[in-house]
Amino acid sequence: MSAYVTLLTPMTDRECLLHALADVGFGEGKVEVHQEAVGLTGYEGLERAQRAHVVIRKQHVGGSSNDLGFLGTPTGHLLIVSDYDRRTYGQPWMQRLEARYVHHARIKEERAAEEERRRIAEEKRKLVQAQKQAIVERAKKLGYQVQEKREGDKVRLVLLRRVY
Amino acid sequence: MEVNVARWLPRSAANGPGERFVLWTQGCALACPGCWNPDTWSFAPRERMTMDAIDALVAETSGIEGVTFTGGEPFAQAAPLAELARRVRRRGLSVFVFTGHTLDEIRSPAGRALLAEVDVLVSGRFVQERRSVQLAWRGSHNQEVHFLTERYGLADMPSGEHVELHLWPDGRVVVTGFPEEPEALSSDSRA
Repeated sequence: MSAYVTLLTPMTDRECLLHALADVGFGEGKVEVHQEAVGLTGYEGLERAQRAHVVIRKQHVGGSSNDLGFLGTPTGHLLIVSDYDRRTYGQPWMQRLEARYVHHARIKEERAAEEERRRIAEEKRKLVQAQKQAIVERAKKLGYQVQEKREGDKVRLVLLRRVY
Repeated sequence: MEVNVARWLPRSAANGPGERFVLWTQGCALACPGCWNPDTWSFAPRERMTMDAIDALVAETSGIEGVTFTGGEPFAQAAPLAELARRVRRRGLSVFVFTGHTLDEIRSPAGRALLAEVDVLVSGRFVQERRSVQLAWRGSHNQEVHFLTERYGLADMPSGEHVELHLWPDGRVVVTGFPEEPEALSSDSRA
C-alpha cells in the first residue's frame, strides 16, 4: 500500500475549485461533491482512513490509481493524493490547478464587485426616486407647478408658482 | 488666469433668461444678512478653475442660451471673469451677472471691463427686510435689473416664483432660484 500525502492549497472557494478541476480535465460527472466528507478508496478497492468533500474516483484518475480527494478546511482545501499518483498529480499538476483556480476566483470577485456596484446603484436610484416623490408632493402642497427634466443620471425639477 | 469657484451647474433655467450655465464664484466681502449662500463669502481658495477649464465646460454644454455669474461676488474677481465673459460672448452666448454692488459702485477698470461684457446685470445688496421671492431674478425689492445690451428686455423677465431642484444620482439635492422656503422643499443644500 502506497502512502497518501496531503498538500495544502489556498483554494478556499469550492465553486472555483470545481471550475478549475473541470479546466484540467475533471469536469461534471467525474467529480463528487459531498456536504459531509466521505472515505477515499485505494487502488485495491480498500477504503482508506482519509476522507474528503470533493472526490475524484480512481476510475477517472488512471489504471492503478487511488481516489483523489480535497478535504475542505477553513484555510483551504487539502489535496489528498497517494504516493503513487503524485507522479501525475504532484506539484506541477497542483500549480496548473491553482492557476486555473486563481483565474476563476478573479472572475468571481469581479462578478461580485459588479453585483455590489449594481446593488449600490439601484439603492441610490431608489433613494433619488423617493426624494423626488417627496419633493414633488411638498412642492404641490406649496402651490408650485412641477416639471421634470432628465439630464443623464440627474433629475431636474422646475417649480413654478405664479403670482396673480 | 484662474477663478475661485464655489460651484457650478451646467444647466439651469432659474438664473436668468433661458437655459444657462451658472457659475457661483467664491468670495464676497459684502456679507449681506440673510444671504442664501454664506458659504461663498470666504476668499480662501475653494475650487480654483482655469479660464480654459471653465470655457471648455461651457463649450461642451449644448443648447444653452448663456452663462450666469453669481456668487459670492463676481466683481471681486472681475478681471478673470471679464476675460471669460469675452470668450462666452464670442461663442454667441449671453452673459448675466448677479452682483451685490450697485451700478455706481463698479468703478475699477477690471469692474468696468466686466460690465462691458454683460448683457443683464442684477445689482444691489440683498436686504432681508425687503426680501421677496416674487421679483424676477431679484431677492429683495431694492435690487435692480439693468439691460446693458439690446439682447434682452422686460419681456424676457419671468413672472412668478421660479425654483429648481437638481437631484443627483448620489442623492445630493441642490436648490437654486428664488425659493420662498427652500427647507420646506428639501433639507439639503441651497445654491
